[in-house]
Amino acid sequence: MTLEVALKVFRYKAGQPARYDTFRVRVPDTANVLDAVEAAWAQHDRSLTFRHACHHASCGSCAVRIDGREKLPCITSVRDVWNGHGELRIEPLRNFPIVSDLVVDVSGFFRKMSASQMIITRSAEAYLPVAASAAEGRPQDARSVTLPEGVARVNRFENCIECGICISACPTMATSDKFMGPAALAGIYRARLEAPNKAESARLLELADGEQGVWRCHSGWECTEACPQGVDPAGAIMLLRRDLVKHRIKRLFNVRRTRALVA
Amino acid sequence: METQLQRSKLRRTAQWADVRRRGMGMWAYTLNRVTGVGLVVYLYLHLVVLSMLAGGPDMWDPFVELARSPLFLALDVILIAGWLIHGLNGIRVTLTGLGFGTRYQKNLFVGLMLVAGIGTVVMGIMVFGS
Amino acid sequence: MEDLSEQKPAPTTAWLWQALTGVGLIVLLALHMITQHFVAEGGIRDFAGVAEYLRNPIVVVLELLFLVTVTAHALLGVRSILFDLGLSARAETAVSRVLLVSGILTVAYGMWLTWTITQQI
Repeated sequence: MTLEVALKVFRYKAGQPARYDTFRVRVPDTANVLDAVEAAWAQHDRSLTFRHACHHASCGSCAVRIDGREKLPCITSVRDVWNGHGELRIEPLRNFPIVSDLVVDVSGFFRKMSASQMIITRSAEAYLPVAASAAEGRPQDARSVTLPEGVARVNRFENCIECGICISACPTMATSDKFMGPAALAGIYRARLEAPNKAESARLLELADGEQGVWRCHSGWECTEACPQGVDPAGAIMLLRRDLVKHRIKRLFNVRRTRALVA
Repeated sequence: METQLQRSKLRRTAQWADVRRRGMGMWAYTLNRVTGVGLVVYLYLHLVVLSMLAGGPDMWDPFVELARSPLFLALDVILIAGWLIHGLNGIRVTLTGLGFGTRYQKNLFVGLMLVAGIGTVVMGIMVFGS
Repeated sequence: MEDLSEQKPAPTTAWLWQALTGVGLIVLLALHMITQHFVAEGGIRDFAGVAEYLRNPIVVVLELLFLVTVTAHALLGVRSILFDLGLSARAETAVSRVLLVSGILTVAYGMWLTWTITQQI
């Protein structure tokens, strides 16, 4: 079973004004939006530029806006977003400079992500996640679990696939390129959960407290709404704020105590 | 990299007002901003009107009559709706903003706006009744 | 309102003051509404009523506290909206200063008006 879908795709090439092109493509009715975009490229216009790699929502490369909403087209089926009438609008992410058609410049984004040193895969860990003790019905310190026979090390994937969808959805990112953004702040929160020592935890907290950190968030909650992996960056930002307030209160009391001692 | 396309600053900044295809959190944020601006305008209007008190009863008392007219009372009810929405949502922003009840932020918004609606009706009745 | 005079644009303290004044307003606005409109005869006092009301020093203190809190909250909000325009650091400092001065002038006006009313009897 196939269906014919009309895609209205945003086009931009350097030196030319931006425009929309309509492509009619025939795809299997189980096709995902990315399949349809690829068909448009293959059958109609080889100059159509877009990113794609894993095709199963773990690389984060293909993120775009479908009918105005941020999504991963590799796991979004055409039938879920298109009712058979009119055109399906495909546009690049918001709040990134557009390089060509659906491809945006993510270099600034990755610079911010590297600030928290959060990476997609955390390698060479000598322990298994806490799920190993689920059978025993009690929480267990992950570090105390030994690896099974023959397994030298494990790689763990973090939820965040660094797709940039949250950046596109965020109303504060729209106003400023300097804002750290939901992904980087969620990364800081995540990194603090397993910070190797107090100094690193404090450094990360200070990073979140900066001018372009957690306080610039306006509680739009769009990042959490749009995230395809359930990272909940907004929740992470709010918890970082709570830690920062606790930190300030502690500092306030330390100052008072010092003054009392000196007086 | 000068060949990249960037949306204009104004267009990007104005995104806060575009609630199409946005979640409830965004509606709350936009509503808070709109009511906030309305309330700031009202605050200064109110302060300017109060200057009539400096003119003594001859200036102030005629205004009191106007302030009791149905049109004015209707505007008062709109004002009440404004600060109920802004205030109740503000409580939600403060609570969730420090990490409390974040999982329920959408439900909180719906619930609080219902309270705002009921509150407006109740206070509207009180206003017109007095 | 000391956050408005910070040299660096730092939303850190601003958010907390915004939240604090907001919470304060829940009480102060409720008080203002009840005493000024729901207790007052006909919902609004005539001049004699206003002067009588302001004779109570506790009332004056509370109303001025309300004015300070609502002005701080309002101008912090305006600052938040303006800062979303992606201004330069210098522009942000200028905005903060202008708003701080506006706030001080607003409260001063309130104090002057209160004084003028009580002097008229």
